Amino acid sequence: MEQAPPDAPRQLQPAPLEPLGLPDAGRRRGREERRGPEEGPADGTMTENNFWLKKIEISVSEAEKRTGRNAMNMQETYTAYLIETRSVDHTDGQSVLTDSLWRRYSEFELLRNYLLVYYPHVVVPPLPEKRAEFVWHKLSADNMDPDFVERRRIGLENFLLRVASHPILCRDKIFYLFLTQEGNWKETVNETGFQLKADSRLKALNATFRVKNPDKRFTELKHYSDELQSVISHLLRVRARVADRLYGVYKVHGNYGRVFSEWSAIEKEMGDGLQSAGHHMDVYASSIDDILEDEEHYADQLKEYLFYAEALRAVCRKHELMQYDLEMAAQDLASKKQQCEELATGTVRTFSLKGMTTKLFGQETPEQREARIKVLEEQINEGEQQLKSKNLEGREFVKNAWADIERFKEQKNHDLKEALISYAVMQISMCKKGIQVWTNAKECFSKM
Amino acid sequence: MSGGPPRGLPSTGPHSLLDMPHPLAGSSSEEAVGGDSTPSPDLLTARSFGDKDLILPNGGTPAGTSSPASSSSLLNRLQLDDDIDGETRDLFVTVDDPKKHVCTMETYITYRITTKSTRVEFDLPEYSVRRRYQDFDWLRNKLEESQPTHLIPPLPEKFVVKGVVDRFSEEFVETRRKALDKFLKRITDHPVLSFNEHFNVFLTAKDLNAYKKQGMALLTRVGESVKHVTGGYKLRSRPLEFAAIGDYLDTFALKLGTIDRIAQRIIKEEIEYLVELREYGPVYSTWSALEGELSEPLEGVSACIGNCSTALEELTDDMTEDFLPVLREYILYSDSMKSVLKKRDQVQAEYEAKLEAVALRKEDRPKVPADVEKCQDRMECFNADLKADMERWQSNKRQDFRQLLMGMADKNIQYYEKCLMAWESIIPLLQEKQEAKQKTAWHLDFEVVWQLNYI
Repeated sequence: MEQAPPDAPRQLQPAPLEPLGLPDAGRRRGREERRGPEEGPADGTMTENNFWLKKIEISVSEAEKRTGRNAMNMQETYTAYLIETRSVDHTDGQSVLTDSLWRRYSEFELLRNYLLVYYPHVVVPPLPEKRAEFVWHKLSADNMDPDFVERRRIGLENFLLRVASHPILCRDKIFYLFLTQEGNWKETVNETGFQLKADSRLKALNATFRVKNPDKRFTELKHYSDELQSVISHLLRVRARVADRLYGVYKVHGNYGRVFSEWSAIEKEMGDGLQSAGHHMDVYASSIDDILEDEEHYADQLKEYLFYAEALRAVCRKHELMQYDLEMAAQDLASKKQQCEELATGTVRTFSLKGMTTKLFGQETPEQREARIKVLEEQINEGEQQLKSKNLEGREFVKNAWADIERFKEQKNHDLKEALISYAVMQISMCKKGIQVWTNAKECFSKM
Repeated sequence: MSGGPPRGLPSTGPHSLLDMPHPLAGSSSEEAVGGDSTPSPDLLTARSFGDKDLILPNGGTPAGTSSPASSSSLLNRLQLDDDIDGETRDLFVTVDDPKKHVCTMETYITYRITTKSTRVEFDLPEYSVRRRYQDFDWLRNKLEESQPTHLIPPLPEKFVVKGVVDRFSEEFVETRRKALDKFLKRITDHPVLSFNEHFNVFLTAKDLNAYKKQGMALLTRVGESVKHVTGGYKLRSRPLEFAAIGDYLDTFALKLGTIDRIAQRIIKEEIEYLVELREYGPVYSTWSALEGELSEPLEGVSACIGNCSTALEELTDDMTEDFLPVLREYILYSDSMKSVLKKRDQVQAEYEAKLEAVALRKEDRPKVPADVEKCQDRMECFNADLKADMERWQSNKRQDFRQLLMGMADKNIQYYEKCLMAWESIIPLLQEKQEAKQKTAWHLDFEVVWQLNYI
């Protein structure tokens, strides 16, 4: 049941929303954010219905503060996000608004939790952080802070785009309804009863400790996820400190502006040069704000993969659970077979309560024994069937999960390289600005 | 100003060192107007100009050195200064080659002072002596004593106040050497101070300590008299220009102090930034070890940040060694100038007091007593010297600060250029495999999707 391909009602038939084009660059203030390469060559080979080959654009275009009453009838303030879906005409690239609705963060969470349950073999894209972490002093840790809200808006859009461009997730009906059906969506999700189907944490933990023979690749992957999470956390922490310090360096230079101006007042020939140099120092000091704002987006890109580590671990946990389940089933079957054998041959090799009571209270009748054997044989049969299907399930899971993991790896390598490139570009721009300002200042000094 | 060649400087005049024959070469000194080596005292007297006393060359004269009594000769000297550029200078002094001396009682550093000169005051064309800070300090005190009407350049700080700075570290010694070199060069450039006898001895004597012990044998008249001003007189009114100079110096010192604090703060922030960078870079390395395809790019970024860190360290070192000391020097300079201004005020006050006293004693009218005249002389001398020195100081200050601030801008430009180079160089490394992988990824995706849905 927790397996791909999912049941018919969950998947849109016949064909899904197409993986998307790149988001509107204009909406992001000119900053280029490429999405994964999953937009792939979706030709007619994908589906039989060319009709569905319309491209869809999704955007989280606005954020709005709202007040309402929560479940306990208390006043609360929250932010709602406007999700707009546009369908793009293949021929002329014109886009038409097809759907538009408001969602809040908790609904995104609900969607994601649903996807986690029904697609355990998929590395489900993470949501942007719930609370601001890794902040440096100028950044606010307040959830209502406009900068935080803005970055969250981008993060949520990113999440939707990731889901929509995932070959499996994009076909999910609940996801489709999330984008198109404002009212009643929550009830629809809850009606699927996915919360009940979720594996209990305890069960999963137990499996992790007790599983004997998990696929080595998953063990390695888990190890990698742990390390990745640790190193990116460390990186983000230090980066925040670096940003803090850099801010300080630039801002102190602003003081030169003032003192040069004051000094120029008592100088004759030196005055002009000093004054104009001071102006450049002011420019220098104020340039850091934009620079660091840009860097926050780099940090956000890293954060996404920090959270992805958890998604990877979730898939590994699922495998361990299934494997453990399989091992337990096999063990159970083996013991039943043995019991059966013992009953049939009359030898008691293993301790059994029945055997004990038989000894104490007398032998059972042949009929009784026959009955028991029959029951056991039935159970064994059933067990063997179950084991077979579990085995099959397990293998299917491993195959599908691993395929998605490979897809994820490619995406990760691509995305992070892009992130590093954009980071380098930011640094280059910062250096060039620095050279410009100081060259201007030098020019002014030379005229002193 | 007399029209005759060499224009009044009681030395061989502004000739290039290169075409001067060696003083002991024995060539006749009479002929060459411009090519004289060591002119005889007679010649010199013949060439002297002006009405009042003039400095006679060849050390040993009671007048010792500088400070002609007349302002006109001073003016001439000033004009001379304008003509003296690099080519026509006749005195070159350099401080270099610091060496550590370890003795039983103490350890100290000496610096080599190299002097090249064609001036008659110097017996030899070239000298090389070793001096320690103490000696510089002694020289400065002597100059202050003997030339109280002039602005004496400042010395670098005597004691190391800040933290636990190693007196013998390379950076500290180098910073000090530069400051001492600047000190001597400023004196060398001064038309009056450079002829001071103590200065000469400092540059030439083998055993300075012996000379020091001789005591203050030679003082100028002016020096003595100024020394004896007790300073109990109240100043009536300060001439506008000196009041203006005083105000200027006050504000100037204030602003410099602020700039010093800002510069220190910037360096402090930069160092803290550096500390974080040094932790930041290696994290990319750690990450790189986890990855496959991303390994090289991450390692590249790590190395890049390392390079930037090094560049930043160089920047902070440079600022600490080259920028801050010069600022501090100028603050000290303004302080010592303020005290010279005070002395001038005292001289004026004494004159005014005496004048007033005379005015009250009706009998001495209309004749002005000699000592009052002397006072007046003193005051006018002082004023003239100070004015001239102030102008020189202003001009030097302008040049020094232009150089200092341009230097600061330069260092920052260099820092950014180094960083720029580092980041630009890894862009190709990062982009390299992108294009190749692009197609494979799509292909893979397509296959995966196909597999999932159609098997």
